[in-house]
Amino acid sequence: MAVPKRKMSRSNTRARRSQWKAEVPNLVKTVENGRVTYSLPHRAKVVEDSAGTPLYMEYKGRKVADV
Amino acid sequence: MPKPTKGPRLGGGPSHERLMLANLAAALFTHRSIKTTETKAKRLRPVAERLVTFAKRGDLHARRRVLSIISDKTVVHELFTEIAPLVAEREGGYTRITKLGFRKGDNAPMVQIELVLEPVTPKVKRSSTRSTASAATAAPVAEAPAEDEVVEDAPVEDVVVEDVAVEDGAAVDAPAESDAAESDAAASAATPVESTEESDTK
Repeated sequence: MAVPKRKMSRSNTRARRSQWKAEVPNLVKTVENGRVTYSLPHRAKVVEDSAGTPLYMEYKGRKVADV
Repeated sequence: MPKPTKGPRLGGGPSHERLMLANLAAALFTHRSIKTTETKAKRLRPVAERLVTFAKRGDLHARRRVLSIISDKTVVHELFTEIAPLVAEREGGYTRITKLGFRKGDNAPMVQIELVLEPVTPKVKRSSTRSTASAATAAPVAEAPAEDEVVEDAPVEDVVVEDVAVEDGAAVDAPAESDAAESDAAASAATPVESTEESDTK
C-alpha cells in the first residue's frame, strides 16, 4: 500500500482547506398572510396548523407526503 | 439507443443495481407512492415507466417480460389489472417526482415518487390564453380616457406595476394576488386605477 513519505505541513493543510467554501442557497421569498418566509425553490413545503404542528408536505397545492 | 447512465452503478454492481431498481419498481406499484433518494428515483423513473407501457399492452408476452424484471406475481397482476386501466389515456409521464428535503442521517436529498393516476386533462391550446391576455391588455386602453398621452403611457405603467407587485409582494397587494391565476385579473383590475392616477397627475 502506498503511504505518504512526509508529514504534510500545516501550511499546505491550511492552504487546501481554504478552498472549502459554502455556497449561498438561492432562496425564494414568499409572503403568506403577512408572514415572510424564505424557502428553497421547487421543493415541497410542510403545512402546519395554527398551533404549529406539522401536518403534511404540500407542493403546488397538492399533498405529496407525510412529515 | 438509450444513453448509458453516467457515473457508478447503484449498489455494488450491475446485478445489484438491477435488483434495487426492480425492488423499487415493485414497491412503487404496490404502494403507488414511495419516498426515496433523488438519485434512485431518477434511475427508477425510466424503468417503472417502461413496465407501465408493457402493462398497457397487456398481452401474455408483455406480462412475461415484466415478470422477467419483477418476480412477484401479485405485484405484476396488480400492475396489469389495476394500474394499467388508470393510465390507458395517458401518453407517457406515468410518474411524478416531488423534491421533499434532506435526510437527517446523511443529508441525502429525498423525493416522493408517485404514479400519476389522475384522469388526463388535455392541455389547453396557448392561442386561447393569448387571446385572453390580449383582451386584458386591450381593455385598459379602451377604458382609458380620450387623452392621447395617457393612452400611450398606460401600457408601460402596467408593466412596471406588475413587476413591482411580483417582486416586492407588497403587503397590501400580496393577499389579493396570492393565486397566480388571480394575479392577471387583479392586475387588470388595478390598471384602470393607475390610468386614472396618471390622468390626475397630468
